[in-house]
Amino acid sequence: MSKAPGNAKPPQPTEEFIDIDDTGEGEPEVGGIAGSAGGGYAWEEEYKRSWDGIREDEGGSLTSMVANLQQQKKRRRRLRDTASVQRGIIRHVIIILDMSSAMLDKDLRPSRLELVLSNLEAYIAEYFDQNPLSQLGIIVTRDGKAEKITELGGNPMDHIRALKNKRHTNARGEPSLQNALEIAMNTLGHAPAHGTREIQLVFGSLTSCDPGNIQLTIKAAVTKHMRCSMVHLAAEVRVFRELCTTTGGTFNVVMNEAHFKDLLFESIPPPPLHSGRTKASDLIQMGFPKKIVDRIPTICVCHNKPVVGGYVCPRCKCKVCELPTDCPICNLTLVSSPHLARSYHHIFPVPNFKELESTPPRSSYSCFACLRSFPHPNTLIDNSTGRYACPKCSHQFCIDCDLFIHEILRNCPGCSALI
Amino acid sequence: MKFFIDDLPVIFPYDYIYPEQYAYMVDLKKSLDARGHCMLEMPSGTGKTISLLSLIISYQQFHPDKRKLVYCSRTVPEIDKALAELKRLMAFRAQQGETIDFLGLGLTSRRNLCLHPEVSKEKKGKVVDAKCRDMTASWIRGKAQAGHGDIELCNYYERLEAAGDLPLPSGVYTLDDLRAYGRENQYCPYYMARRALRAADVIIYSYHYMLDPKVADLVSKELSRDAIVVFDEAHNIDNVCIEALSIDLMRPTLEASTRSVNLLEQKVRAVKEKDAEALRTEYARLVEGLREVSAARDENAILANPVLPDDILTEAVPGNIRKAEHFIAFLRRFIEYLKTRLRVMHVVAETPVSFIQHLRDITFIDSKPLRFCAERLNSLIRTLELNDLEELTSLQKVASFATLVSTYDKGFLLILEPFESDAATVPNPVLHFTCLDASLAIQPVFQRFSSVVITSGTLSPLSMYPKMLRFEPVIQSSFTMTLTRTCFLPLVITKGSDQVAVSSKFEVRNDRAVVRNFGNMLVEFAKAVPDGIVAFFPSYLYMEAIVAMWNEMGILKEAWRHKLIFVETPDAAETSLALENYRLACDNGRGAILLSVARGKVSEGIDFDHNYGRAVIMFGIPYQYTESRILKARLEFLRERYQIRENDFLTFDAMRHAAQCVGRVLRGKSDYGLMVFADKRYSRKDKRDKLPQWIGQYMTDATLNLSTDMATSITRKFLRTMAQPFDGSQIHTSLWSVEDIVQHQKNPVAQPVSADHPAAKA
Repeated sequence: MSKAPGNAKPPQPTEEFIDIDDTGEGEPEVGGIAGSAGGGYAWEEEYKRSWDGIREDEGGSLTSMVANLQQQKKRRRRLRDTASVQRGIIRHVIIILDMSSAMLDKDLRPSRLELVLSNLEAYIAEYFDQNPLSQLGIIVTRDGKAEKITELGGNPMDHIRALKNKRHTNARGEPSLQNALEIAMNTLGHAPAHGTREIQLVFGSLTSCDPGNIQLTIKAAVTKHMRCSMVHLAAEVRVFRELCTTTGGTFNVVMNEAHFKDLLFESIPPPPLHSGRTKASDLIQMGFPKKIVDRIPTICVCHNKPVVGGYVCPRCKCKVCELPTDCPICNLTLVSSPHLARSYHHIFPVPNFKELESTPPRSSYSCFACLRSFPHPNTLIDNSTGRYACPKCSHQFCIDCDLFIHEILRNCPGCSALI
Repeated sequence: MKFFIDDLPVIFPYDYIYPEQYAYMVDLKKSLDARGHCMLEMPSGTGKTISLLSLIISYQQFHPDKRKLVYCSRTVPEIDKALAELKRLMAFRAQQGETIDFLGLGLTSRRNLCLHPEVSKEKKGKVVDAKCRDMTASWIRGKAQAGHGDIELCNYYERLEAAGDLPLPSGVYTLDDLRAYGRENQYCPYYMARRALRAADVIIYSYHYMLDPKVADLVSKELSRDAIVVFDEAHNIDNVCIEALSIDLMRPTLEASTRSVNLLEQKVRAVKEKDAEALRTEYARLVEGLREVSAARDENAILANPVLPDDILTEAVPGNIRKAEHFIAFLRRFIEYLKTRLRVMHVVAETPVSFIQHLRDITFIDSKPLRFCAERLNSLIRTLELNDLEELTSLQKVASFATLVSTYDKGFLLILEPFESDAATVPNPVLHFTCLDASLAIQPVFQRFSSVVITSGTLSPLSMYPKMLRFEPVIQSSFTMTLTRTCFLPLVITKGSDQVAVSSKFEVRNDRAVVRNFGNMLVEFAKAVPDGIVAFFPSYLYMEAIVAMWNEMGILKEAWRHKLIFVETPDAAETSLALENYRLACDNGRGAILLSVARGKVSEGIDFDHNYGRAVIMFGIPYQYTESRILKARLEFLRERYQIRENDFLTFDAMRHAAQCVGRVLRGKSDYGLMVFADKRYSRKDKRDKLPQWIGQYMTDATLNLSTDMATSITRKFLRTMAQPFDGSQIHTSLWSVEDIVQHQKNPVAQPVSADHPAAKA
């Protein structure tokens, strides 16, 4: 059967690729070739005709266009889940890193390994910033074995230092999902019941070299309420997806470097609690230790080293180096009150602001927060008013303040002003 | 959902329908209205079976004449699957308030249905058949009733006999249901199903019951003319037709026949002493002619005539074989003649006419008694009341051969090959009696039934089948898949990373550079593709050679680091073990490669959906072994008779197998996979045009001439894209609700079809 020239052309797969690129990540990089995925050369990639989207305005200037693009990008980041659900703010996360030879592949620049390590450092910092009551540990797997490189702990520097250690990050051999999961589950098994147990995996390998039946390990993970999520760097592997979906986590595959960062950072806000597991919200004993600075170094109970500064447990009066932690002597959860306060925003998020479709009559001319004036209705680009209103207090904000409120401040100034 | 096509209300058991399913139903209905044959190609995994069943049943129940549906499929699992679909459809119809008296059932061999505690333990179909007959043949039962001592009868059969007419209440019976119902009521499921065929509205069984004259006569004779016959997965139907009429004779067969003849002779002598009357009545009957079938109840028919129903003679049996002794002497002479023919040490190819001529010159055997051979043997066995039919299979084969060779003078060829291969020195002669004309076996079906539907996932090019099978379809269409995302990606790799062209062409196939490039391709894909990869080779021979060379080059070791490797062998048990472990490796994240052969068991009927097949690599083009004399004869015949050029047929045949192989990877719209064609010849237009359109349309210029490295980079990108969350926003585009159908009927814009209506053109 010959194809008549008049026939509708079959959809080109390439077009769809680009579409998905655009929605999955931030803006495609303007260079086009620099951010390319795929293992080959830049000229083997499909063209990204990023210049086609750019039009000069009447004045022959590109600034408004660029501003528009930036605004679009911001707007995309704006929307987030604000449903008030029970979230575990005391989290225990184990990161399992694939250190197999597949990580040396250079299809993500500069290489999979470099990309993962650099993003992970940022991830750890951000994680502790947003989840001050939480703990984290790192396991790497290579040569069919798994090794814990940091214990579950609350100090970001420990973890970042471990990742910088070259001994931990030379990639070779094959990963073992099962061994890594076993170690992670053993570690998390000791975590108190009121905290979450999460395993975040970053894999580049398409295989897993397991000593036994992985299905049993997955079942064990389900019964122990582990929540496993994976970011995979190459493709969908059945057993990995199965692990993630059965344990209630997410499985994602990266499209390119920027997408990887987005996917990884998705797991920073605490996940909703498993409904089946939560015992009707019970009270947790917490101690708020006093910070002391000694003149002479004294031994801390956590490292058995003489240190000058530290915190004294209110119950057993022993000295620990850092917060948050569990007191090694009396097992009391030790936190500081700013930690607790900062964790709250996950539970009581600021609602998404609504973008106004048209400028309402007799509304203010400037943003409630920064007092910068809104664009005049006649000069609007791209059908947006640039006004975002809080659904509770109905004050209007500009997009920059909207982002600032949701990402950093986590309190609506309008609502606070009403109190 | 329920919707209308023209005035016909169609009940479809799902809430949404694919546009191509709708188009398929529309075309099917047109051909049913026209009472003509049709050919429909629709991609695998788009719900062909359910579209077929739901339209035809709606049609059947809407029209007063209630045309019977006969649905023929290829394998037992496929039959079972179709039955399950039917059951679900009928359950849905009942839910919709369409309560009707309806009987649908499947039929398969005794081996799959038998309930008898001992017989059902047998593994071989032939043995089960023989043992069953030993207990159910009318003379045995007669003897038992007369009180002849310890004759074992089958309880299940007896109960069925006692139950009288049609004990099966209406409903849909899968094979399991039949067995369960049989067990519950102590009825023999096989005979119950066979008797119920007459009353059934839908019958689902294997091709052979329709095409093979030896079986068709027993099973399908009573179907009415206006039945709708569907051949599903019919891309190989020409081969099935040819096999139904071909016979191979070898030395052991002839030896066994001689033994059987001796046995018959003894029996005849014994019977003569005891009961000469029996032989005399048989003689009298033979004088009158053979067609007094009423006497021979269908259960007794041991060996049906191998000839197609139209060609069966209705005259009296010739005098020289009427007497049992004469017939035995006649058979003996014929077998001896065949033995001398097998002693010839060079290849002979001759037509049936010349064979008969030579036979007459040497042995004075005429063609007329030869033609009655099969029927005469049947009659003799019945008269002698022989039980152990297994011993007689070789003789039956010879008799069938005799009948066929003397009945058909066109479209057949006798080929004697004294050696198995050109290199062999020990003779192992085979006399192939081969049918060259696929239309012979299927012709009676086309003539007898007004609507014959031929459908499959791969029927391209559509023009070939009407030519080969000699029929005029009123509708022939090929449907494409409507997809919201391109979930499969055909890639044509023409050269390795080192730019050396790859091909399985005979001259270069053992070239080290080509073999190495094929190997590298496998390794590269093993690195890039998760879970399962299936690789197909044109033949076992080539696969063995290439795997041996890979082993030498260390390529297997390299591939082994990424995935386990399994190999298909001609042995069925070994292959199924390999398959099982292959699946296990795919499930456990170890990943696996299955090396298999394009015409083997794996390429037909085994699905590699989802993680079991993320990529299919077709190494080379699966041409048939062109040195085969049978193939050569067939090619010559096709050229002379139907003006099909050799090359056209060979390419057609190769491409349909290639399409069949790569089609394994995609089973439904949520699935995704790669189809890799590794041969530079695939990029040529004449090859591509012969692939089904649903594959061909996604072959873009960009993917037609790739080297291995380019292909893997596209692969990685494809796999990443496919792994993104799929939001299933297919509704209204590739999934239609009732409103969408109504909308489409009002305003038929973009048909998702490229229909090709010969009738409309004419």
